[in-house]
Amino acid sequence: MPKVEHLVYGDRKVFTVSAFNRGIGMHLGRLPALWVEGEVTELRRNDAWANVFLTLKDPKTNATLDVTIARRSYDRLELDLSEGETVHVAGRAEIYEQKGELGLRATTIERIGLGGHLLALEQLKRKLAAEGLFATERKRRLPRVPRAVGILTGADAAARGDLVATIGARFPATKVVIRETRVQGKGAASAIVSALAELAGHPEVDVVVLARGGGSFEDLLPFSDESVVRAVAASGVPIVSAVGHEQDTPLCDLAADARAATPTAAGALVVPHIGDLELALVASRRRLGLAVRAQLERDRGRLMRQGERLRDSPRLLLERRRATLDRSGARLQALSPLATLNRGYAIVRAGGGALRTAAEAHPGDRLQIQLAAGSLEALVGEVHG
Amino acid sequence: MSEPRSFEELQRDLEEIITRLERGDVPVDDAVALFRRGEQLYAECVARLQGAELQVEELLPPAAGT
Repeated sequence: MPKVEHLVYGDRKVFTVSAFNRGIGMHLGRLPALWVEGEVTELRRNDAWANVFLTLKDPKTNATLDVTIARRSYDRLELDLSEGETVHVAGRAEIYEQKGELGLRATTIERIGLGGHLLALEQLKRKLAAEGLFATERKRRLPRVPRAVGILTGADAAARGDLVATIGARFPATKVVIRETRVQGKGAASAIVSALAELAGHPEVDVVVLARGGGSFEDLLPFSDESVVRAVAASGVPIVSAVGHEQDTPLCDLAADARAATPTAAGALVVPHIGDLELALVASRRRLGLAVRAQLERDRGRLMRQGERLRDSPRLLLERRRATLDRSGARLQALSPLATLNRGYAIVRAGGGALRTAAEAHPGDRLQIQLAAGSLEALVGEVHG
Repeated sequence: MSEPRSFEELQRDLEEIITRLERGDVPVDDAVALFRRGEQLYAECVARLQGAELQVEELLPPAAGT
């Protein structure tokens, strides 16, 4: 290691500027190689230069760091970086001795833009899912016939136009309340949250559609912002998310009560078709008529049956009495001794009651024998006990 | 019947009346009254659908620069 020379003034050791810078550089050189993450700004590359220069910025604090990388190394990476992208840079700290400026000497650069966002999104998604924000049982039923449909939209004429046209064509007997807001870039998330609150607070709005056409992954990021996702989940009215294209799944899609692939599909979700409603009404009216007629028929029928029963009641009473009488007669008949006499039996009396044993009579007694027809007077000859 | 009610509420009432009549345990006087009310609701629903034009209301964002 070359020695850093110094001058001597009496008992004072003094370094030249170059020597100081070189000395610091030597110390820095002992630090380990490491990775630094930041946003690319001020990228300068020229075919005539040996190095490519760029500045890395910390998006949170705006702190900056100058980075140099050999042009050949840079070209081999084929990154085609543009400003604003987030990258990971591997390298060592170094000092630009001529200026005494600290920088990072890079060996390689990796684009993490999407990767980093995706990772963060995935983490947020897991966290919110664990809180139950995306649970199916949280989803509210959309109103069948909303008094008014709230539309949250950017300055996106196509999405807004499609949605309004669909609603107007399907169900003109409603109202749309449109709130335009910033939907991408800085401040979009909080703008969306307050626009959503305004729409949901509107006295007639029964459902809100987030209508945002397609856009790049970054453009749609505000719709995955935690504050927006939470606002969607906590909204006082049901929300339909129509953000991006079919293949995009911003997190607000998961928190919304329904998801539509296009603004047109969203329109079909939030209002019924007027023709269907009219048909349903006609059918209802038919049922109303039939039901009341059936009810009146039933009442009339009951009345008629009651009338018949009333008219029939005296005859029924008589018949019932006669039947009872007939039964009594028959029973009486069965008990009559005359019926027995008809079968050839006779009743024998000796002055008083009927005789049951021979011993009750004595020879010479006078007996009365009653037959089925007529009676006989007889004398007892012998008694066989 | 004091404040204007939504189409959905009107339709629900109509359906309720029909269901009661269809169940068939409504006294005659009530049945007729219910039918009349049902007809009224039907007419009201139809009126709401007919001749309506989509109303569009724009909410203005609060003052710019936020």
